[in-house]
Amino acid sequence: MSQPYQRRPRRVAPVPPAAAGDAPDLDALMRRVARGDEAAFATVYDELSARAYGLARRIVRDPALAEEVTQEAMLDAWRLAARFDPDRGSAASWILTITHRRAVDRVRSEQASAQRVRAAATEEVPYDQVVEEATARLERQQVRRCLDGLTELQREAITLAYYGGYTYREVADLLGAGLPTIKTRMRDGLIRLRDCLGVAAR
Amino acid sequence: MSTDIHALAGAYVLDALSDTERAEFARHAAACPSCAAEVAELAGTVTRLADLTRTAPPARLRQRVLAQAGRTRQAGPGRVPAAAPARWHRWAAGVAAAVVVAAGAGTGGFVLGDRHGAQAPVRAGEADRVLAVLGAADARVTTREVAGGRVTVVLSDTMDAGVASVAALPAAPGRAYQLWLIRGSTPSPAGLLGTGVTGAVRLFTGVRGADAFGVSLEPPGGSAQPSRPLVTSFPLG
Repeated sequence: MSQPYQRRPRRVAPVPPAAAGDAPDLDALMRRVARGDEAAFATVYDELSARAYGLARRIVRDPALAEEVTQEAMLDAWRLAARFDPDRGSAASWILTITHRRAVDRVRSEQASAQRVRAAATEEVPYDQVVEEATARLERQQVRRCLDGLTELQREAITLAYYGGYTYREVADLLGAGLPTIKTRMRDGLIRLRDCLGVAAR
Repeated sequence: MSTDIHALAGAYVLDALSDTERAEFARHAAACPSCAAEVAELAGTVTRLADLTRTAPPARLRQRVLAQAGRTRQAGPGRVPAAAPARWHRWAAGVAAAVVVAAGAGTGGFVLGDRHGAQAPVRAGEADRVLAVLGAADARVTTREVAGGRVTVVLSDTMDAGVASVAALPAAPGRAYQLWLIRGSTPSPAGLLGTGVTGAVRLFTGVRGADAFGVSLEPPGGSAQPSRPLVTSFPLG
């Protein structure tokens, strides 16, 4: 398996130095984690575990397996913390990239079952109905709206790959489209998503 | 640069390549600055998709992970990472300021507050209305970055109500940020932050017909009219 931390996700949010009102500065915490600070690691875990676990569970489906994947990814973050480079993207991005990769490795190694195909193709991204952070809701709403702004094919190609853990070849099969088309739709869909999220942020 | 392989950037950041293709693309991107830049941008975009699937893991996982970390030796820094300045500005923020905390497990009540400084408790009914606005079918979201911080406004015309989330505004000791709905050139107050507070969520009503939103700095307790110049003002989408 190639090493997910070599990828270069970009930072999700600017972290102003004196942002006392903000969530913990994960990048700064990761520097402490790299020096073996277990308390800092616990804070990183608390900040990211819901996103990591939710993502893993969405991909692998089985809650127990999702726990394993989250545990592995979090321990990767602990073990490899010294290699985290904030200039290449946020800690959140780094850890979620590791989580995604690990989850995908699991489902690929188990071979896609017909059931997984059907489930991923028909299921909605779950909406949250319970007590949650309002800011997180705003952010999710924005992501959802931006996803809605994609073409059907772009959206399906991206969500099947990201939440379903499929390769683009499998996605092409599922959607009955050619490989070059899917490849292109993934890329220009993500570019549109990037611009949508970015434009709204200005 | 091969056009064909360049087109794999999307599939690459989605982890949708076979291991062989993945390795091939990674090799290519290592020697192709524009590909690497695109990968960096798209990978950050993809991370936002994980916002939609947030699910709290069982508490036992926390214990397990932390216990195992305590027993696991860490790797050294390894390779020296290339210096690559991150570009954030085009980015919508991720989960930044946590402004609503669950008050009382199982009650469903909320405290809308500022993580630092004074908490501003609101009635559970008000918190419900905040969530109702956020979930309204006609909710419109406008986000604006302000000097390193961020203002997000969600309006629902059917509910005639709005929610503003303000995060990480510049420190303003001894003064208070005040929020304004603007119709034409007429501002009306839409919420006041505590003195020195730089992040909060506020609920307000009477949003129909508002076409812009503003933030000003005021003396503690707020003002009837915004002090000029405004910290920021922007049209509402």
